[in-house]
Amino acid sequence: MTPERWQQISRIFKSAILLDNEARAAYVDSQCGRDDSLRVEVEKLIESHGKANADSFMAGVAAEAAAPLLTDDETRHDILNKGQQFGSYVVLDSLGSGGMGEVYLARDTRLDRTVALKVLSPDITQDNRRMQRFRQEAKVASSLNQPNILTIFEFGEVDGLTFIATEFIDGETLRDHLHGKRLNIGEIVEITIQVLAALDAAHEARIVHRDIKPENVMLRRRDHVVKVLDFGLAKVTEQKYSTLEHDSDPEAITEFRTAPGIIMGTINYMSPEQAQGNEIDERTDIWSTGVIMYEMVTGKMPFRGSTTSHTIVQILEKDPVRLTKLVKAPAEFERIVMKAIAKKPSERYQTAKDMLSDLRSFQKRVEMDAELKQTSPLITRTQDDLGRQKKRVLAFALIGMLLVTAAIFAVNIWRSSRRTTSSPVATPAVAPVERTLTYWITVQKFKDRNPYGDPFTLAGEINFEADYRIRVNVRSPQPGYLYILNEGPASGEPEYNIVFPTPTANNGSSLLPASQMIQIPEKSWLRFDTQQGVEKLWLVFSENALPELDSLKQFASVETGGLITDPLRNKAIKDYLDSQTSKPEVEKGESLTTVKAAGQLLIYTINLEHH
Amino acid sequence: MARTPPQHEITQLLAQWREGNQSALDELYPLVYDELHRLARRYMSRERKGHTLQTTALINEAYVRLVDQKNVPWANRSHFFAISAQIMRRILIDHARRHQYAKRGGGARQVSLEEALTVVMPDQSGELLRLDEALKSLAEMDPRRSQVVELRYFGGLNNEEIAGVLQISENTVTRDWNMARAWLYQQLTGSGAN
Repeated sequence: MTPERWQQISRIFKSAILLDNEARAAYVDSQCGRDDSLRVEVEKLIESHGKANADSFMAGVAAEAAAPLLTDDETRHDILNKGQQFGSYVVLDSLGSGGMGEVYLARDTRLDRTVALKVLSPDITQDNRRMQRFRQEAKVASSLNQPNILTIFEFGEVDGLTFIATEFIDGETLRDHLHGKRLNIGEIVEITIQVLAALDAAHEARIVHRDIKPENVMLRRRDHVVKVLDFGLAKVTEQKYSTLEHDSDPEAITEFRTAPGIIMGTINYMSPEQAQGNEIDERTDIWSTGVIMYEMVTGKMPFRGSTTSHTIVQILEKDPVRLTKLVKAPAEFERIVMKAIAKKPSERYQTAKDMLSDLRSFQKRVEMDAELKQTSPLITRTQDDLGRQKKRVLAFALIGMLLVTAAIFAVNIWRSSRRTTSSPVATPAVAPVERTLTYWITVQKFKDRNPYGDPFTLAGEINFEADYRIRVNVRSPQPGYLYILNEGPASGEPEYNIVFPTPTANNGSSLLPASQMIQIPEKSWLRFDTQQGVEKLWLVFSENALPELDSLKQFASVETGGLITDPLRNKAIKDYLDSQTSKPEVEKGESLTTVKAAGQLLIYTINLEHH
Repeated sequence: MARTPPQHEITQLLAQWREGNQSALDELYPLVYDELHRLARRYMSRERKGHTLQTTALINEAYVRLVDQKNVPWANRSHFFAISAQIMRRILIDHARRHQYAKRGGGARQVSLEEALTVVMPDQSGELLRLDEALKSLAEMDPRRSQVVELRYFGGLNNEEIAGVLQISENTVTRDWNMARAWLYQQLTGSGAN
């Protein structure tokens, strides 16, 4: 129908419907004259008008009629279904959904390979301008051949749905891997180096990722290789978050959960220039990488407000809480992170390459330091206290002569792997400013110098029988320096026995690697003399080596039971222990006790009632 | 609450658009789309199935959130409603399209009882898509009448508001609506040839 015809019809129609039936017929007649087709059009329209009224056609508004569509979408948003053929792909399973669309595991029947199929949601693909740009970028991104960039196999359209087929990575996203916890520095450096390698390759090809965040970083299960996802995609979903006002809307806190269909990512990793909607370049990816590093090491995002607006204010104006206030991290590591998240792009690393090179040097240094620590020389033992008369003795009953070795205090670490040079232990884990130590006591009854019955385990304090001999088992999630002293029930000035470290146990070192259990002693048992009262076992666990206590190692010996007789030295130890007012939190479990203290030093005493 | 730059920005974009700057609309569109979409879904998830979606309330809320209320000429407000109606249409059509696709691709999928109960939906989405198509044809012949339908049916505006937006009399709005609706009915029910 031509617009002219349409106008003609509508002119007659609008007056006709105001008339009653009789008058209307006459009116239409007069207006249409001999133009029968015009008359037919007008009459049909008038009839439709009546029916539409009777049917309440469009009486409400569209949203009313279509509202269930919106809710239904909320609960079920599959675009494809299992087993469905989609172009040359067969859908095997749904892998999840994101702001851009749905992701499926699929089989490419042409090449007989498994792929991840991302089907973009129609909301996005409707926008031709964005799609065009996206196509361009996806094309370039798919040409990037770098092991840390997810390979794009195909980009196309089936049944009006735009999809991207990529290599399928069996693994987890960095978001899932983090799961609100911290990672150790070694792992963080490993991951970041790979992310930067991916960015470096992309930047070389003049592609800015724009949306680096833990959700877009995958860790492959089998070898922990990092894959960065969605190069070029960010541009499509990008929007100016700064223009949205979400105060007092709890749903606006979008981190972690991007509701399907809503084109809204997280703003927490956005650079200041991005949040302001300004021009962005490669340095925006540097920023986001820095934010991820910060989160990996502290477990917290550096910029995070209760609403989108608050977060943006933080990104634009606030300096994040210093890393080292939250965790113990090397100064160089902090410097690298802070440089990456400098507000001004010109103050950041200018290229991924520069940052990569700094991180690599840092990584080398850390590895070297760790090796040095492991090979610290033994302190030669002095003999001056040997043979001195002892008032009370911490002695060791040896079980079976076969086990007698030169070092009674011999303590082995269950896992011996730490002696190989670059084992994971070599990387200093990040310790929060808190110390945690778990211990339990193994008790063995003795009769006539022979073990009697099976050993049993106690979580903590025990009523100590005369025929009990014990071992202390200690473990911590953090690495640290461990010292164990015994203080007997004697009145007057205390005298201490050094139980750990010794010149031979644990290679003569007081360093307890993270998560390794140490049993003290391993092959013998601790026995106390018959004096009644409370035997105290002092556990000192420090982030840093304590020279005052390390030097006591020289007194450890079979003959003396590690007794320290020098009153001045004992006084010094007492003063040291008393000066440290760490007040640990104690959590007694059924079979073990966990003690925690704020700060870098934990001091705890196990009291053994001795009868 | 302090006025934030974003509100200024949207307000400015509205003004520029009103002055005939078409690229201002391009910029405005995604912003309003996201806001309306978010609000619509939030409303619906709150009110559960079967409840009505108060389109005008929705658009009003978006307006309050997005636009600087101070010194906004009425015309800007009208324009905001106009674009919102257009966007509501698009949001609903997008959803309808997805439903249609899901239906087509259904294949061997087992249909649960719950789904069986909500079987009316695909029909609704189909009807909505056909209406959208018909409205596009109407716009080619008669842009103004098509806009009246958009504002009223998708934007939820009343005749008075529509008159304000389109700068026509309320009577004209009524007449336009009658004509457009009759024609759409004819198209959708197939009771009339072109």
